[in-house]
Amino acid sequence: MTRSRPRTFLGTALTALVLVCPLGAQARDPNTIVIVTGQQATVPVPTLMEGADNNLANLEVADQLFLRLAGFGPSLTTVGERDFVPRLARSWSRQDSLTLVFDLDPRARWHDGVPVTGADVVFTFERARNPAIAPRLADLLRHISSVTAEGERRVVVRFSQPYAEQFYDVVYHVAPLPSHLLMGLTQDELKRSEFVRNPVGNGPYRWVRSVPGQFIELAANKRFFLGRPAVARVFVRIAADPDARINFLLSGEADALENIVPPIANLARIEAARNLRLVPVPSPTVGYLLFNQRAPGDPERPHPILADRSVRRAITLSLDRQALVQSVFGTYAQVPFGPAAPILWIRHNAPAPLGPDPAAAGRLLSAAGWVDRDGDGVLDRDGRPLLLRLNFPNTSAVRGQMALQVQEQLRRVGIAIELQRLEVPVWLERRSGGHFDIDFSSASQDPSPSGLTQSWSCSGGDNVAHYCNARVDTLMERAIRGTGNPADSWHEVLRQIEDDAPATFLYAPSYVHAIDRRFGHVTIRPESSWLELRQWTVERARERPRSGY
Amino acid sequence: MKRWLLRRLAQAGITLAIAMVLLFVLMRLAPGDPLSRLGENRPLSPAETEALRVRYGLDQPLLAQFGVFLRGAARGDLGTSIEYGRPVSALVRERLPATILLGGAVLLLNFTIGIWLGVRQAVRRDSVLDRWLTTVSLAGYAMPSFWLGLVLAWLVGVKWRLLPAAGMQDPLLGPDADWGARGADVLRHLVLPALTLSIVSIAATMRYQRTAMLEALALPYVTTARAKGVRESLVRWRHAWRNALFPVLTLFGLWLPVLVTGSVFVESVFAWPGLGSLAAGAVGYRDYPLLMGTSLLISALVVAASLLTDLAYAFLDPRVRLS
Amino acid sequence: MTPVGEALHRAWHTPRGRVSAGILVAIGLVGLFGPPYLPDPLAQPDILAGANLPPGPSHPFGTDQLSRDVLARVVTGARVSLAVAVLAVGLSMTLGAAVGLVAGYWGGGVDAVLMRLVDGALAVPRLFVLLLVLALWERIPVIALIVLIGATGWFGTSRLVRGEVLRLREEAYVSAAEALGARRRRIIFRHLLPNAMGPLLVAATLGVGDVILLEAGLSFLGLGVQPPAPSWGGMVFDARAVLVTAPWAGIFPGLAITLTVLAANLFGDALRDAVDARGR
Repeated sequence: MTRSRPRTFLGTALTALVLVCPLGAQARDPNTIVIVTGQQATVPVPTLMEGADNNLANLEVADQLFLRLAGFGPSLTTVGERDFVPRLARSWSRQDSLTLVFDLDPRARWHDGVPVTGADVVFTFERARNPAIAPRLADLLRHISSVTAEGERRVVVRFSQPYAEQFYDVVYHVAPLPSHLLMGLTQDELKRSEFVRNPVGNGPYRWVRSVPGQFIELAANKRFFLGRPAVARVFVRIAADPDARINFLLSGEADALENIVPPIANLARIEAARNLRLVPVPSPTVGYLLFNQRAPGDPERPHPILADRSVRRAITLSLDRQALVQSVFGTYAQVPFGPAAPILWIRHNAPAPLGPDPAAAGRLLSAAGWVDRDGDGVLDRDGRPLLLRLNFPNTSAVRGQMALQVQEQLRRVGIAIELQRLEVPVWLERRSGGHFDIDFSSASQDPSPSGLTQSWSCSGGDNVAHYCNARVDTLMERAIRGTGNPADSWHEVLRQIEDDAPATFLYAPSYVHAIDRRFGHVTIRPESSWLELRQWTVERARERPRSGY
Repeated sequence: MKRWLLRRLAQAGITLAIAMVLLFVLMRLAPGDPLSRLGENRPLSPAETEALRVRYGLDQPLLAQFGVFLRGAARGDLGTSIEYGRPVSALVRERLPATILLGGAVLLLNFTIGIWLGVRQAVRRDSVLDRWLTTVSLAGYAMPSFWLGLVLAWLVGVKWRLLPAAGMQDPLLGPDADWGARGADVLRHLVLPALTLSIVSIAATMRYQRTAMLEALALPYVTTARAKGVRESLVRWRHAWRNALFPVLTLFGLWLPVLVTGSVFVESVFAWPGLGSLAAGAVGYRDYPLLMGTSLLISALVVAASLLTDLAYAFLDPRVRLS
Repeated sequence: MTPVGEALHRAWHTPRGRVSAGILVAIGLVGLFGPPYLPDPLAQPDILAGANLPPGPSHPFGTDQLSRDVLARVVTGARVSLAVAVLAVGLSMTLGAAVGLVAGYWGGGVDAVLMRLVDGALAVPRLFVLLLVLALWERIPVIALIVLIGATGWFGTSRLVRGEVLRLREEAYVSAAEALGARRRRIIFRHLLPNAMGPLLVAATLGVGDVILLEAGLSFLGLGVQPPAPSWGGMVFDARAVLVTAPWAGIFPGLAITLTVLAANLFGDALRDAVDARGR
């Protein structure tokens, strides 16, 4: 290499860099929206979203492609059939306590032009109710005994027993699939078919393309019968890392991001970016410290410490839950009463949760025999220290931060907490196997409170802590059946659970979304953020947004 | 030479096999059930769990499972990912171009800038340039790459908006855009992640090259060449540098696996759709098929790199006896 | 004086060597004796009003998201981070040099077997090995962490040393020594090792930084030093969320890492020059 060669090399490199920088900075078409998510939607097709595919990413994209029979009203009530709004079904009526009749909107069409008929609904429910094909759905739809079509546009649904949420079960869990494209395919064939790579739906947006690991593109369905969407194109970009997502948003490369809090530091950054606005939405999440009432690994014996209700109540009273919530979520979360996430309609008019009362906690503990006899700062009884292990997954920043605070707060009252930060498969294994003292759980609840039976009924599939109160079971049954006032029954359930203290319920957050201000008529649905995207409008493009904070 | 090559190839195969066995054993020893994730939202019934176990071959004895993997790998079928439910080979194929692009860019920068600066430092030992570059390179090497990435992403992407903050392509550039625009777009997205990885690796390359070059320049036959009146640049590059190449060659052989796994952090900060984050995720979720598949690829790359390095050794210095 | 002692002595007498060694010793001393004079690194005095405070008189390095004193945590973290790095690298270098020397000098079948094993181990990404093995422990004791990191870090060094030995073996003075009937051990320790020290020392100093950064990376993936014990890497990761709004929580541990690694590398540099000067 002669002397001048390195210099020309540098010169070329610099020139290339300079050329590359301004080039390709696309002028943004204001009628497009770029949404950033953390996970890729790999199979946004109804009846295929089972197991690990039953995730938010798939659900949100599927909601744009496939329309449900009816949608939630503003109150998110899941009982009765009055508080729902028409979608694919234009109207409905109740024939008797076991039968519902739906009339489909004659204007509804699949993206390839074929009209939506009752046959599509029948076809879809046939698959959805088949446990070999869709076990999760089949379980949710187990009270449906038959789905038949009467003529082109009428569907009759019969149930095996009367209960309050019949309508909800029909309309919410699964959206109809096009039978004219999929009839005759087995489920495995369907999974490998072209349909999964290019789904054909009937919703406000149609599928354009997917670049794996990067983004999905959807285009407005110009002939959508409920009104053509104003936002012409939708891009869903994937970034697994939360920093990358925030950066996309603040650099102007994305217009919408779900769930920016925590960390609450993001609030200040978004507020400083004048082109973005915050939209809080009730979340389906509730976080709680679950107490194992049986000995870890030995379900025959009671837990040496946590089987005692006063100890559990004492832990709840020792924690300043409001401070915990505020330090992690700011004003965007509340302390729940019982296991009720913000999305559950039963939260309305529920009692207020107990505040911290360390004195009462101390009394409960000493009455139960827990006293610091050896002066080491930790309470003990019969030579055994009040030491509990707290398990939490290493992927949850919220729980990691809260666990540290919980440890510190409980240390002050003499309860020793040992933190166990575990990888997700190990954490799940320990959890389902009952190998834990305290499990820091986070439940994602369905809009229907009947989901509470999973964790809080004696035989619930997710009741890993062996909590059992027959009275709670009876109350829940009564509420689900709809006898009496369901709201009252559910509130009584919550009260009983709070009283029994099988867990300390820590946080019920709101999701805070950040949306570019150029979009108007923005409604974010709690059960599926972008469901109302088709109603959004695009105002005049404003001046170039300021550089990110 | 040919016999040596064949022998090395056979040895490479054995190496790969050892690596796979090691990984397989470790993977199964680690606690955590891959199927537990599938039951995260709704607990699985024992029948469902059993069905899944059979489907992924997890009910077979360990040796049989390993055999299935090997036989499949020979055919090109790396099994089905538990996490994604799709064939591993498809997932790997999707991510491979991004990884090669990033790795290639970093290697190219290392080869050119790293070597050139290292040699320059050695030639002008203890000069102002040498001292300054030493400090700069050491500082660059001392910084955590993810930290550097975060700062760069925020500064250049968000605050100054000179380059994209993350991602590999601009989704708004339609599928019918021409190659020029597409290439420029990817190049713009490549700059920051490549820079982040390069700053760290170039610093190391410079250190090694400088050291090796200093030793080579002090060799007697270099002095002889100078005394004979050979032009300085020729002395430097033809005589001294050929000797100084050895540690750097070894370095390249070692950088390959580091680039793939070290890029895990860079890939996540810049949302770069490469193999590193795919593989790291597979470890975290105990996705056995995905883990074995990606590791097989990485290991094959490493083995190939070491083979090439040995070849280069032999080619450059005939005195080295090939045992 | 032994060759190594001689080199150390020489390195100490350069400005670079003295400054860097001084920094390292200072960091070590502060880490060892500092904590009693500082607030409790685990205490969370006031989460609501005391979190994310900028550096000031009561908190010279500010506080983090949980209102913990950053200075106290940096100093306490020094112990773990330094101990892990130094000991693990020491282990790696010893193993790597030993294997590399043996393989390079003996050659033949020994070389082939050793290098194939090394290749096999190298072919498995170190991160994966660490992740999987670390998962075997619930709460990993620091000693185990050191041994694991050390035991997985010597492969590259052994290849490097082997490469050097292969080259040096052909040098005139080695054949001369052999011709004179010198014992193998003498040749290795007197002739080969000191001259192969160059890359080894550079590798060692870069290795210290590597391990500190590796530990930081492990914290990212949720392994390594368990909370609430502070470690520099863990602190850097926790501070990601507040990178822009409360940069001090990440800058100071980051600076600590950079400074330590820089000092280690500078000292290694001075050491290398010292070894070099003697060898020529």
